[in-house]
Amino acid sequence: MTSRTHAERSPVSRLRRAAAPQHATVRDRSARLLRRPPPLLAVTLLVAVVGWYGAMHLQRVDAGTAPSSAGAWGQDDADLVEEGQALYRVQCSSCHGLDGKGLRSPDGDVRGPSLEGSGGAAAYYYLTTGRMPLANSEEIPRRKPPAYSDEEIDALIAYVASLGDGPEVPDVDIANGDLAEGGELYRANCAACHSATGAGGALSYGRAAPSLDQATPRQLGSAVRVGPGQMPRFGPDALTDEEIDSVAAYVENLHGADDRGGVALGRLGPIPEGFLVWTAGMGSLLLVCFAIGRRADSREAE
Amino acid sequence: MVTRRVARWADQRLGAANFARTALGKVFPDHWSFLIGEVALYAFVVLVLTGTYLTFFFDPSQQEVVYNGSYDPLRGVEMTEAYRSAVELSFDVRAGLVMRQIHHWAALLFLAAIVVHLMRVFFTGAFRRPREINWIVGVVLLILGIFNGFAGYSLLDDQLSGTGLRIAYSITLSIPIAGTWLASLLFGGEFPGPDIISRLYVIHILLLPAVIVGLIGAHLAILVRQKHAQFPGPGRREDNVVGERVWPTFAFKSIGLMFITAAVLCLLGGLAQINPVWLYGPFRPDEVSSASQPDWYMGWLDGALRLFPNWEIRAFGYQVPNPFFPAVLMAGVTFGLLFAWPFLEARWTGDHDNHHLLDRPRDRPVRTALGVATLAFYTVLTLAAATDVTATTFGVSVNGVVRSFRALALLAPPVAGFVAYRLCKELQARDIARGIPVPNPQPRPRRAGSRRRPPPRPEPAPSTPEPVEPSAAP
Amino acid sequence: MTERPDETPEQREARRRRAVLGERWTAASFGVTIVASLGLGIVFWRGGQPQLEGLFLALALGGIGVALVVWATQFMPKQEIEEERKDLASTDEEVAEFQAEFERGEHILARRGLLVKMGGAAMAALLGALVFPIRSLGPRPGKGFKDTPFAKGVRLVTRDNKPIRADDLVTDGILTVFPEDHTRAADAPTVLIRPSGEIRPRPGREGWTPDGLVAYSKLCTHVGCPVGLYQSEEHLLLCPCHQSTFDVLDGARPVFGPAARPLPQLPLGIDDDGYLVAEGDFSGPTGAGFWDRDRD
Repeated sequence: MTSRTHAERSPVSRLRRAAAPQHATVRDRSARLLRRPPPLLAVTLLVAVVGWYGAMHLQRVDAGTAPSSAGAWGQDDADLVEEGQALYRVQCSSCHGLDGKGLRSPDGDVRGPSLEGSGGAAAYYYLTTGRMPLANSEEIPRRKPPAYSDEEIDALIAYVASLGDGPEVPDVDIANGDLAEGGELYRANCAACHSATGAGGALSYGRAAPSLDQATPRQLGSAVRVGPGQMPRFGPDALTDEEIDSVAAYVENLHGADDRGGVALGRLGPIPEGFLVWTAGMGSLLLVCFAIGRRADSREAE
Repeated sequence: MVTRRVARWADQRLGAANFARTALGKVFPDHWSFLIGEVALYAFVVLVLTGTYLTFFFDPSQQEVVYNGSYDPLRGVEMTEAYRSAVELSFDVRAGLVMRQIHHWAALLFLAAIVVHLMRVFFTGAFRRPREINWIVGVVLLILGIFNGFAGYSLLDDQLSGTGLRIAYSITLSIPIAGTWLASLLFGGEFPGPDIISRLYVIHILLLPAVIVGLIGAHLAILVRQKHAQFPGPGRREDNVVGERVWPTFAFKSIGLMFITAAVLCLLGGLAQINPVWLYGPFRPDEVSSASQPDWYMGWLDGALRLFPNWEIRAFGYQVPNPFFPAVLMAGVTFGLLFAWPFLEARWTGDHDNHHLLDRPRDRPVRTALGVATLAFYTVLTLAAATDVTATTFGVSVNGVVRSFRALALLAPPVAGFVAYRLCKELQARDIARGIPVPNPQPRPRRAGSRRRPPPRPEPAPSTPEPVEPSAAP
Repeated sequence: MTERPDETPEQREARRRRAVLGERWTAASFGVTIVASLGLGIVFWRGGQPQLEGLFLALALGGIGVALVVWATQFMPKQEIEEERKDLASTDEEVAEFQAEFERGEHILARRGLLVKMGGAAMAALLGALVFPIRSLGPRPGKGFKDTPFAKGVRLVTRDNKPIRADDLVTDGILTVFPEDHTRAADAPTVLIRPSGEIRPRPGREGWTPDGLVAYSKLCTHVGCPVGLYQSEEHLLLCPCHQSTFDVLDGARPVFGPAARPLPQLPLGIDDDGYLVAEGDFSGPTGAGFWDRDRD
């Protein structure tokens, strides 16, 4: 509680015009900006416009291979199987063993798993996505351009299919699929690992469910039946062929998804959104505040 | 001339001329960093305007319906009316999507601006007496903003926000003794309950905005009453305020900033897609997507949940489950410390004076270091919400990322604080070397009875030994 | 242009030029607003398009904003005005007047201490009573928190309510299943797995995994997210929310992440028609933990 009496207080505001300060004022800086916008600003704007335009129209690289034949994948073609076997012996047996029975290194680690019963679908999947061949068995398989030509792949598929009773290369017809049903099945079975937008997701210890933006319908169908790597397997009782058609149709739709809201920011959700609001949003507004307000540089003039 | 007649007409009924003159003549310091709080205010204005528009189209009902709109991948899918109205708003209402996106970007920006504003207030010591009340009002606004944002994006009942609601339910459950009661009352039973969306709707459009508007009003009224603080400088003292008058300069700049803020938000809302709920699908309690994160302002909570080790307390058949510690206890301590800070600092420094001159951060190295350390801690937690996306982006193990972030959460704050401290000292040393005086508030005339420390007694000048005068001996 | 006494002719000329330039920019900005508003109208009339709507809105609003800011910074009087900061606290006389006024009423109150106390108690009681309607917001948390619709003999079904046979799942297969007729029960989603490794049953659960199948609650014991990621080679269930990881072969024991308790296991059996059924409810309450979860 102060003890100032009423009389000690002076009347309302006293006005005093300060002499025009000698240092750079907001007015001077703004005037300079208006006369000649700095070239940096122009370059930034140009880059932003081009970048946004590019992001809006990013083309997806489709690395799918054209199948040599729809339907039979040649395991009944003895010549093709023999061709495949010859190719296999040269390219694959060093890890997967002679006759595809698998190979262990001297200290007991698996160099390459057995291919018996893995099916033509597995060979199709691994070879057309370039995940096989692996440089060494420690490496985690990732999508790469295929190492073999279409004819070579057909031959290898025929050979691997002949090694047992595994899933055949599926016929996936997305025109036959139901988009909405595919979406529901996708969200129920696939989104947990591959994300609702098909962007992929992290698994334990360095593994990852890959992004689906380059998966062709047949690769997708093969993966579902084969369960490559950490992926679980879905037999015909879990997902019928028609249901796979629907899921593949939905994934195709995801490739060209309706990003009507603007730049999709990788479809990764709130993380890139948060980054953008802090950089473009808060960043640009802080610059605006800096341009409008006064800088506390008057201290130097003292 | 028209304005003069209208003003006269109003004055004859309200007698506001004097008040208007005083109000428009008020002086506001014009440093650029004082405009950040305005950015938050204008983002809130955009929120209210766009939000009102959205209420005309959104239906917060959990009634199950079948979608029949123009977005093919959802045609025939069962969903709640809430989700259906959100998808319809995005596809079949002409300005619907842009309004929804502007609204969501504005929410993100509102909280970002609040945080930057809080940092400005903290690092310049603007929370000191007499502004402790406004500091508390501000922290409450931050909390309400976070809650309202969460309530807002949970209304759409999509898979991503529904997962977040489940997490909120489980966090409520984890509260000892009262947890199950609170969760049951909030949700109307077990998760998800029949009413949660409509309850969140009332909270989001009525209850919290009403309180927020009231508190913003109080925040501004207190600010006007106390007059804004200012940086030291030529002609600026504790007993004056130097700047621009409201009319015309300050008003034009402020209103201009409002339009520019709205423009930035419209640009974001039109050009950058946010929360594409049609891709996430309607909420199903048995489904989830990888890369599930909350909006950025809840990121520190999510990161804390990911990083905190799996410790629980279990005894005598009762338990304090794991999520309680990061999500309830740590959050409570965070905001408790924020609320208490002005009083803690006043007690520790023994400084109970009024302060209308601000500090430069370098002039208070300890406070700056503590603030930077705290900021580093919560930044690490916020970034830790993205452990899985970080792992896939850089092709590393998510387990390794979690472990690294745990270490970072413990190491980054003291390192950042130390670096900040040294920087402050260095900058101070440079100022002294360049002859720039460390700002001291001008000595105020003593007012009897006011609670302040006595001014430091002037140091006695180093005395030269005076020759002792020979005593006049008789 | 107003006269300024302390100005040189060059400074005056510079100020004039600045004002003209500022005026041009302001006018141009307002012009941008007008054009953009027209553009917005056209976009709407033609059916709307989010990017163009956002762009034109931004230009329209930004035009006014930039115009006002340029106006304020370029050709408004640039002054530094000083205003006195009066003491916020009231003077002693004002406080004394207020106290006198208030005490006039308070004096009356002070003599009626009992009434004041009764009044306070009445207000408190009323406020307490007004809290009771909150009780209607939700039911008492009861047994529902600890059990699910699964019980002995209840069949497992897919989300389409179709019962499941044991060989519907191939090795490394996983399926999300529900209690029959309760496919929407939010506490009952279950993962049914045929792992390629050997299951090590918990003590007392030896008969819970017929035909190499195992079933666990899908709700993470951390904060209840569905644990949807199954890593078939490592036999791990991974929760995408906070990366809790559970070992499927070892009773869904948590091996990484913030979950502290294993996923509750569902005892499986096969009924006479060959369909999978539950042999009882889960081994514990599903989902996140709560205070009295372990008590009956």
